[in-house]
Amino acid sequence: MNELAVHFEGVNKRYAHFTLNDISLDLPTGSIMGFIGANGAGKSTTIRILMGLVRQDAGSVRVLGHAMPAEQTSAKMDIGFVSEDMRLYGAATLGWHMEFIRSIFPKWDAPYATDLLRRFDLKAEQKIKGLSHGQRVKAALLLALARRPKLLVLDEPTTGLDPVARREVLGELMAVLADEDRTILFSSHNTLDVEQISDQITFIDRGRIIDSADKEIFLDRWRRLRLALPPDAALPHIPGVVEIGGSGRLPVVTTKSFEPGMVYACNDSGATVQAIDTMTLEEIFVANVQSRRQEQIA
Amino acid sequence: MNRRMIGRLIWKDWYLQRWIILASFVGGAISLAIIAKGGKAGFLVGLILLITVLVSIGAQLAVSTIVQERKEQTLPFVMSLPISYREYTASKMLGNLAIFLVVWLVMVVSSLALLAYPWDPHMGLIPFTAIMATEILLGTCLVVATALITESQGWTIGAIMVVNLAFNFFGYWVAHIHNIANGMESTKLMWTSSASVLLIGEFCTIALLLGLTFFFQSRKQDFL
Repeated sequence: MNELAVHFEGVNKRYAHFTLNDISLDLPTGSIMGFIGANGAGKSTTIRILMGLVRQDAGSVRVLGHAMPAEQTSAKMDIGFVSEDMRLYGAATLGWHMEFIRSIFPKWDAPYATDLLRRFDLKAEQKIKGLSHGQRVKAALLLALARRPKLLVLDEPTTGLDPVARREVLGELMAVLADEDRTILFSSHNTLDVEQISDQITFIDRGRIIDSADKEIFLDRWRRLRLALPPDAALPHIPGVVEIGGSGRLPVVTTKSFEPGMVYACNDSGATVQAIDTMTLEEIFVANVQSRRQEQIA
Repeated sequence: MNRRMIGRLIWKDWYLQRWIILASFVGGAISLAIIAKGGKAGFLVGLILLITVLVSIGAQLAVSTIVQERKEQTLPFVMSLPISYREYTASKMLGNLAIFLVVWLVMVVSSLALLAYPWDPHMGLIPFTAIMATEILLGTCLVVATALITESQGWTIGAIMVVNLAFNFFGYWVAHIHNIANGMESTKLMWTSSASVLLIGEFCTIALLLGLTFFFQSRKQDFL
């Protein structure tokens, strides 16, 4: 059995005004990866390369053991794909779409599809053009999930949804995923969505992957330390400093390598640790992006 | 080539275009009925209507199955299926041609049958009709190829306009080719070498167009 569902190695893709640079990415089988980046960071291009829809200029891509894009036909038999810019045929009913997908995928699970219809509060006889945006996203998810894919690729599925529909879609998606053992790549610029679903996080910015680790590692290691320094004292050495804010004697240090021993080290050097703030994934993402951009400028 | 998937995609387009296909059959039947009614005016009106039906369905198919699929963002749905772009191209070429050919064959065979109608034969018009009907087929192939290669509504509409203009000029030119024009008024079929050369040339151009479409599509790197 292949341990990696997705393997990118040194992938490059150059456009006139955008370059995807040296993307290396591993998605182990059975994990759920949140792929976070600002608009235009390269998430969709990476996913299109993964799906074989865009050919990389350099580097290799393997999905479920298949080389992409050459073996995309075989790979896509086991991939469920839903993207923000994907639409179904407005003039046809959801039932027609289900029948169409069933005729293509031998693993189509009809009882599961019926169950999803109920859970998503959809009706098979409804025409797609009569559905709300939220219902269309749910319909696309149903079509992707009921084919029982080994890999589920969701490219910003919640973008453009109003808050209520977004919560509904995410809630249903999490409920569906809770009892499943799937490999999922979930891209979004909304860190809250990703945080709820993923167990691994990858940040992408300006066409480069800037960080990738388990979600818990990000949440455990990223901290903001609020320090108080005695007069004329220098800032103590803190590993993994990403950002230093605050004022001269009251610095706020953001570190990506926090461990409890740091507090003692700070105290030993004369500084007082007034508070240790945990960070949300959004704060981690923003701090990460800003520090990488400053590094690039420097 | 994944023939099963190509078949499924062709079936999908047939289903989604079923009302257009039905409408063109109805339009074609009305035009043929007007032609069959007889008289010079009826013949001209029916002929113009029939040409309009055939040209329209060719253009409509290319726009709604290729250009609209991209514009209305249903292409990502199609490309998420287990299919390569080469197979997608094959399904669009074959699907469009199959739908068009069904309508085209019924209309052309019926027209030729009307021209050969024993009580009022216009058999002399058969070579001209065959050449012009094939010209419509060629024009449809050009529009489909343009839509597939350029993926652009503007270019496709441009191709439709060029095809329509070319049809008129081509018809005028063919009608003035000496050994075709000579037999047009006859009640007997007068097949000439010029007619054969023109027909063979048209079919060769169709084959070339199809080949070039696959060639250009296979060189594309990005499909979305």
